[in-house]
Amino acid sequence: MRNGAANTVFEVIGMVSTSGISPLDEARGELLREASIDAEASGREKAQEESGPARSLLVFFLGSEGFAVDLVHVRKVLRPSRIACVSGAAPEVLGLMNCQGEVLCVLDLRRILSPGKETAQPAATEGKFIVVVQHGGKEAGFLVDEVRDVAELPASSVHPVLDSIDPSRASLFEGTVACGGRFVGLLSPSACLNP
Amino acid sequence: MRSGSVDLLVVDDGAALRGYDCRDVVRVEEVAGEPGGYLVRLGRLGSPREVACREVLGSVALSAREIRPVPEVLRERITGEKPWAVGLTGQGMYLLY
Repeated sequence: MRNGAANTVFEVIGMVSTSGISPLDEARGELLREASIDAEASGREKAQEESGPARSLLVFFLGSEGFAVDLVHVRKVLRPSRIACVSGAAPEVLGLMNCQGEVLCVLDLRRILSPGKETAQPAATEGKFIVVVQHGGKEAGFLVDEVRDVAELPASSVHPVLDSIDPSRASLFEGTVACGGRFVGLLSPSACLNP
Repeated sequence: MRSGSVDLLVVDDGAALRGYDCRDVVRVEEVAGEPGGYLVRLGRLGSPREVACREVLGSVALSAREIRPVPEVLRERITGEKPWAVGLTGQGMYLLY
């Protein structure tokens, strides 16, 4: 009988519990719980080491196409106000905007991403957003259609740029991330800010 | 010109507002046969040059605190004459040449 055998052992070592669980078992159980907690923590650390630290990404859209930029480089998100045109500037330059007393250069991200598809008319700004990005001492506002949310993802979730992306455009991306059930291009702030 | 300020001749080049240091302006000429066309001759302070514009809007005095540096991102994307600063006033924004 199993119970009888257990009682025999308790009697031998002189520890009998009124609740039916010996102090030794309680101690072992406690040890096992601690070990389990340690293992869980260790597993988390290991997983974090393997996947890298989490990255916070601002996800936004140009039409139906999703993009992301590391939140570390995002200074603010604004609604466009009056943008002053600049003569002789590159097609992607929408102009200058007064951003709380500072002069912000606003760039048309759609034109940066599709330089071959330039239209005669500058992009309309109504209802859109400007994502102000800062990197390497440079700052610019990028006009985007919609700002969706901030995604917290492990660094390991950043995959190489998809092969289907045009090589001339691929240099503008750090990689691709799966976000909200779809792939979005993770923009390289450096590449987007430098002509 | 007052201390810590600059008087600008503001012109509309058809796409944007430009400001030129009034002290540098030699002459403003109306271009014959082109309604609304003007030629601003500059060079009193520096090398002679001329700028075609659609309209001469007048002059404005900018104080030092209304002058901002040209954003690097813009400077790198301008071909031709580059502005040396941006004038930021309640009335608008001018590129200063």
